[in-house]
Amino acid sequence: MKLLRFVFPGVFAVAMVFHAWVAGSSARTVRVDYRLFTGLGNMDGHWNALTVARDGKVYIGLAHHGAGGHAVYYDPSKDRMVDLGNLNKLCGQACMRIGPQSKVHAKFGEAKDGKIYFATHAGLWWNFARFATVEGYPGGHWLVYDPRSGETEDLGIGARYEGIITAAYDPVYNRMYGLNYPRGHFIYYDIATGQTHDMGRVNNWDSLCRTIGIDGQGNVYGTFGKGQIYKYDPRTDKLTNLPLFIPIRKKGISLGRDYNKSETAWREVVWDKQKKVFYGIDESAGYLFSFDPHAGKYGVVKKLGQLAIPSMADGRGVPYASLALTLGNDDKLYYAAPAQEFDFSGSKGVAASHLLVFNLKTDQMQDLGEMRVADGRGLMGAESAATAQDGTIYFVGAMEAKPEPGKPFVYGGKIGSIPYRLALFIYHPEAK
Amino acid sequence: MLAKHSLWVAVLIMGSAAAGLAQRSLDYDHVVVPQDRIDARALGYPPLDVIPDGESGITSLAVAPDGDIYGATSGARSHLFVLSPIHGFVQPLGYLPDTKNVTHAVVISAEGDVYIGSGTSGHLLKYTPSNPYHEQIGTHDDKAVPVKDLGQAVEGQGIFALAIDRNAGFIYGLSSPGTHFFSYSISTGKFSDWGVVCPRVPKGEKFETDNIMSRMLALDVKGNVYVSGEDGYLFKFDKAAQKLEKLKVQAPAIPGREPWTRVDAFMTDVVSGLIYGGTSDGYLFQFDPASQKVVNLGKPLIQYDIAGLVPGPAGKIYGVGGTAQGMARLFSYRPATGAYEELGFIDVNRRPYYTWQAYVIGAVAVGHRGTIYIGENERISKLYLFYPWE
Repeated sequence: MKLLRFVFPGVFAVAMVFHAWVAGSSARTVRVDYRLFTGLGNMDGHWNALTVARDGKVYIGLAHHGAGGHAVYYDPSKDRMVDLGNLNKLCGQACMRIGPQSKVHAKFGEAKDGKIYFATHAGLWWNFARFATVEGYPGGHWLVYDPRSGETEDLGIGARYEGIITAAYDPVYNRMYGLNYPRGHFIYYDIATGQTHDMGRVNNWDSLCRTIGIDGQGNVYGTFGKGQIYKYDPRTDKLTNLPLFIPIRKKGISLGRDYNKSETAWREVVWDKQKKVFYGIDESAGYLFSFDPHAGKYGVVKKLGQLAIPSMADGRGVPYASLALTLGNDDKLYYAAPAQEFDFSGSKGVAASHLLVFNLKTDQMQDLGEMRVADGRGLMGAESAATAQDGTIYFVGAMEAKPEPGKPFVYGGKIGSIPYRLALFIYHPEAK
Repeated sequence: MLAKHSLWVAVLIMGSAAAGLAQRSLDYDHVVVPQDRIDARALGYPPLDVIPDGESGITSLAVAPDGDIYGATSGARSHLFVLSPIHGFVQPLGYLPDTKNVTHAVVISAEGDVYIGSGTSGHLLKYTPSNPYHEQIGTHDDKAVPVKDLGQAVEGQGIFALAIDRNAGFIYGLSSPGTHFFSYSISTGKFSDWGVVCPRVPKGEKFETDNIMSRMLALDVKGNVYVSGEDGYLFKFDKAAQKLEKLKVQAPAIPGREPWTRVDAFMTDVVSGLIYGGTSDGYLFQFDPASQKVVNLGKPLIQYDIAGLVPGPAGKIYGVGGTAQGMARLFSYRPATGAYEELGFIDVNRRPYYTWQAYVIGAVAVGHRGTIYIGENERISKLYLFYPWE
C-alpha cells in the first residue's frame, strides 16, 4: 500500500504527459521544420556534433551504438543531406571486428581554409571490461573533411583505447582540443605539426564536462570537480585550476538519473564574440551563467537565471540539461529544454522539448512552448544546437518515427514504446 | 484509454526507478574493488591545501618503523608527504628541491630518517621528521622540504630506485639511465658503485632508447640485494662478498621478449625467505635465494605490468597490474593453493561526496596494521587505502 501511495501520483503525472504526447497537446507550441537523415534511420543518438560552416553547410555526427556512426552534412541551399561516410570506414577499421567508431561526440571545427575537423568516440564500454584489449575500442581518431575535394582524411588516433568525448577547434592556434573518455585527459591535436599532445588528467570519468570553451585568444576552459573552472593557456602550454566556480546544484538529489551523468560540470558553453564572454548552462539544474574570462584576476562568473521549463524551474525534478544551447544572431540564447529526463533510448519518458529564449539585453527568459513539426509530432529531445550566419537555429534530436507504406520500418530506438529516429530541426526566429 | 496508458507507464517508471537512482548498478560494481574495502585520500586538505595537480603523481611509498607512511610524487615538482595511520589523512611536507621525479626511491632507516633518491639530480636527500602534525596544513607551494643533501650517488646519473637494509645501515640503489648498482653507507656517508646491470640498450624501435632494469630492488632475509638487468637476468649483490654478480636465471617472459623484460615489483616474504616478483609481461614469479631458482606463477591479469606487490593476511599476496595506457586492476595470490583472485578496478564511489578511479598506479606499500596503500600516478592523484581480507 505504501508503494502504491508513493508510485501513484508520479504515475498519474507521467501518464498525463504521455497522454498529451500521443493525443496532441493543448499547450503552447512553437513550429519547427525538420529534415530526416535519409538512409540512416537506424542512427540512435547524437550529442553536440552540430556545426554550421561559413558556407551555410550544417555538419552533423550521428551515433550508432554497437556499430559505426556517420558524419553527414546538410546543404540548405540545395536542401540536400550528404553522408560523408561510416566512421568505421573513415577510420580504416571497417572489417576489423573491434570496438566501433560509433560517434562524433563534439562540435566540428572549421579551419581558416574551410576544412572541417572532427573527432570520434566509442559507443559501448561494457563496464570497461574490454578496455585496452585486442577486441576493445582502439581509440578515437582525428579526422578532417575537405569540402573542396569531398575527401575525408584520417589523421590518426588521438587517444589510444579511449574515446574523444569532448572536442573543440581553435582557429587562433589551429588546434583541435579534446577530453579523453574514460580517463579524462586533456589532449590537443596540433594541425600544423600533426602531433597529439596529452596534458594529463583533469577529472574523473563520471564528471567530464561535455564542452570545451575557447575564447578569442585561444585560451581553453573546462570544468572539473565541483564546478571549478580550469584554463589551458597555449602560450605557456599549461593547465591551471582557476579559483572560479560555476553555479551548480550540489550532488545528493537522487532523480533516478543514470550514474554516468555528471551533475557538477557545465553542460554547454557558447562564446559571444561581440561581448567576449561565455554563456553556459550547468548540468543538474540548468542554471544559466556568464563567464568573462578576462575580467578581474582570473575571470568572473555570474549566475543569470535558470534555463528550465517554468513549471519545473526550482523543482527537484528539473530534467538534466541538454546540450542544445546556442547564441543567436539577435543577442538571444536559444535552448531546447527537455520536459523529461532525456537521453534517447535511455530517456525516462516521452515529452516534447520546449524552446526557451533568453534575451541577453533584458535578462528575461521566454518559453515559446513545445517544439513540434507541422504534423504535430514533437521534438522528443535535442542534444545540440547551432546558429547559421543567416540566423537560422538548428537542433538535432529525436522525433517519433512513422512507418512508410511498402518500406521496412527503420528507427533508431524506442523511448518508452514509441520508436524514434534522429532529425535535424530547423527554427527561424523571425518566423515565430 | 488513459487508464491503459497510465498502467503501462507505471510499469515503465517502476522499471526506471529500479534501474538507477544516481548510483551505480550492481553489475558495474562487480568490476571494481568491493566498496567496503577501499577508500581514497586527497594529497592534503582540499580544495586548496593539496599537492598541486601536475605535481601529485605518487611514485614512491615507504613505511617507517613507527608505522607512518611516507610518499613522494613526480611531476613538474616532486613533493614529500606523510600519512599517520592514526590520523588517517595525508600531510604534505613540501616540495623536494631540484627534483621532478622520485621513483620507488624513498626508504626509511631504523632511526626514522627518510632518504629520498632524486631521479632528476641523482642526489640522495635525507629528511629527519620533526613532528609534522604540529605544523599547519598549507599548500606548501613555496616551502621546500628541509632536507640534507648527501651528494650524488653516481656521477651524471639520476636515482632510479632505492632499497634499504635497516639492520646493516646500508642503502642500495639503481641509477638511470646507466643502470649502475650502488650502495650508500649511512654510517660513513660513502657511496660505492658496484657495476652496471644493463650495459646496452636492447634492440628495438628507434624510439626505444632505455637500458632495461628492474623498477625496484629486493633484499633477502640475509641482506643480499637483487635486481633485474639485461635480458631479464637477475643480478645479486652479495653482501658478504661485497660483489655484484649476474645470476643464471631470468625473470619470466614471453619467449623472444626477454630483452625488454624487467621486474616491475619485488616483495620479500620474510617468513619463507622467498622473493616474489612481477614482470613487465605481467607474470608473477617466485625466486628462491637459497636455490637461485625462479618459478613462473603465471599471469594474474590479462594486462602487462605489475606495479606493486605486498604481503596480505594469511600469507596472501596482493598486487596491482596494468599499463600506463590501461586501467589498473587489483589481484591477490594465495601461495598455499596457487590461486589467484581478481579484485577489480581501483575505484572509490562515495557519491554524492566523492568518486574517483585510478588508472595508473605508481607505488604500493603495506602498513603495520595491514592496510594496503596504493599510490596513483597521474596529473591528479589520490592515495588509496585498501583493506585486505583473508
